[in-house]
Amino acid sequence: MRRTILSSASYAVLAVALFTGTIPAFAQSASAKLDALDKRITRLEDLNAIQRLQRAYGYFVDKSQWRQLSELFTDDATLEIGGKGLFLGKPRVLEYMQTAFGMDGAKEGSLANHMQFQSIPDISTDGKHGWIRSRAYVMSLGGWGLPIYENEYRKENGVWKISRLTGPFTMYSSWEGWGKNAMNNTWPDKFNPPPDLPPSFVYLTYPAYFIIPFHYPNPVTGKPFIPDKGEVGAYAAPPGTKVQADSRKIGLIPDGTQGIAEPPRN
Amino acid sequence: MMRARKILLSVCSLAAVGLSPFIVTMPAVAQDSVQARIAAYRDRVARLEDADAVENLTATFGFYFDKGLWADAADLFARNGSFEYGQSGVYIGQDHVRRAMLLYGPQGLAQGYLNNHMMLQPIITVAPDGKTATGRWQGPVQLAEPGQDGIWGVGIYENEYVKDGGVWKFAKFHFYPMAFTEYDKGWARSLLPLKGPSALFPPDKPPTVVYRSMPGNYIPPFSYKHPVTGKPLTDLPEEPDSVTGRK
Repeated sequence: MRRTILSSASYAVLAVALFTGTIPAFAQSASAKLDALDKRITRLEDLNAIQRLQRAYGYFVDKSQWRQLSELFTDDATLEIGGKGLFLGKPRVLEYMQTAFGMDGAKEGSLANHMQFQSIPDISTDGKHGWIRSRAYVMSLGGWGLPIYENEYRKENGVWKISRLTGPFTMYSSWEGWGKNAMNNTWPDKFNPPPDLPPSFVYLTYPAYFIIPFHYPNPVTGKPFIPDKGEVGAYAAPPGTKVQADSRKIGLIPDGTQGIAEPPRN
Repeated sequence: MMRARKILLSVCSLAAVGLSPFIVTMPAVAQDSVQARIAAYRDRVARLEDADAVENLTATFGFYFDKGLWADAADLFARNGSFEYGQSGVYIGQDHVRRAMLLYGPQGLAQGYLNNHMMLQPIITVAPDGKTATGRWQGPVQLAEPGQDGIWGVGIYENEYVKDGGVWKFAKFHFYPMAFTEYDKGWARSLLPLKGPSALFPPDKPPTVVYRSMPGNYIPPFSYKHPVTGKPLTDLPEEPDSVTGRK
């Protein structure tokens, strides 16, 4: 089949040349079609590349390879994980990891797997930006965790890098499991280093309920996800329920966000 | 996969325009350039299809392996393909691979068995010539045997693949379990060691690398280069193992 494609295509160009003499109009149109084809193939390659990048990030986290991990980011990248706040720039990404989780190297007796699953990649029309929604399935010495990512990527000189990592938590629990134990979200001064900027949104983790907005619309209806107005994306229960409506009136701090609760007690 | 097919179809429709019986001269540059571009795109689409095929092959193996379909699983290996699991040694060739898998339960498993090995997070690298490929994978493991407590595990796969007569097959399946624990206890209270080579059915070769599962923290070698710097991921910082003395 492939051989047929090649020979037919060359006949096509030859045939058109008969009627035009010089550079045939069809050659231009073929060239335009090939340009369009190149774009589509490049898009498929780009989708693969950013998924690969995100998975490589996970393999570095698992083995505490912070220097290698930081090299996945653009110089001006931002990083925001849990409720810790925003870190600005590649050097701060490295500092965050090394200060919070120890220097580079897989350490005996440690398990901190952040397995990277379920990615939904998208590439901008101009092919310069990308986004992924995905999750980390955390299986660690301390127990279980479920961050979700809504990350952004940028192509620099033909190479994809992470330009924004946003990883809010859904749930963290000890090995006993989420039926018995739930840890609250992190906050800016919970551990060192302090962030460059406060969290860009405030929310509670399980048993509360929170949806990080989707970078893509519903793929069938085309409708974008619109968070409830004025709620900074923070939910105590699914939107539209009474619990959620009540949560907007009870226990709010003056800026309209929810405070960080004490850890649940057994 | 379907998207890649559609692109090939576009190439076909582009070509179908030219069914003219006339033979004429044609500017060589334009002709070369169109032909060269089609050839280059054909290769790029082929590499995308290869990566998809390798992904599906591995997922297929996972589904067979989970359910003890050892014969089907072994059929996915090249003639000299090898199978290596933890510290159990290397089994070479379809017959040995098939028998080796009996160490993980009877054919088709049986009442009380669970052999889940989720193969996820793939980083697939297809060689430029499209003849070989590698893949790193990771996922949780859930095990059960009659009369024993359930076991949680997790580990990394570093596999090699070969295209044999146009069909992708396993050249090497290598699972590096990283940790096993009793379901009820967890990593902080229970760590299970890896099994050594079987006395009932010894492997063809000893393990290719000696390592311990948790509390050891071995880093299986990476088949891919750093996606941004392009440098090989060798000699990454790693604590020496206090038992095996490795590194």
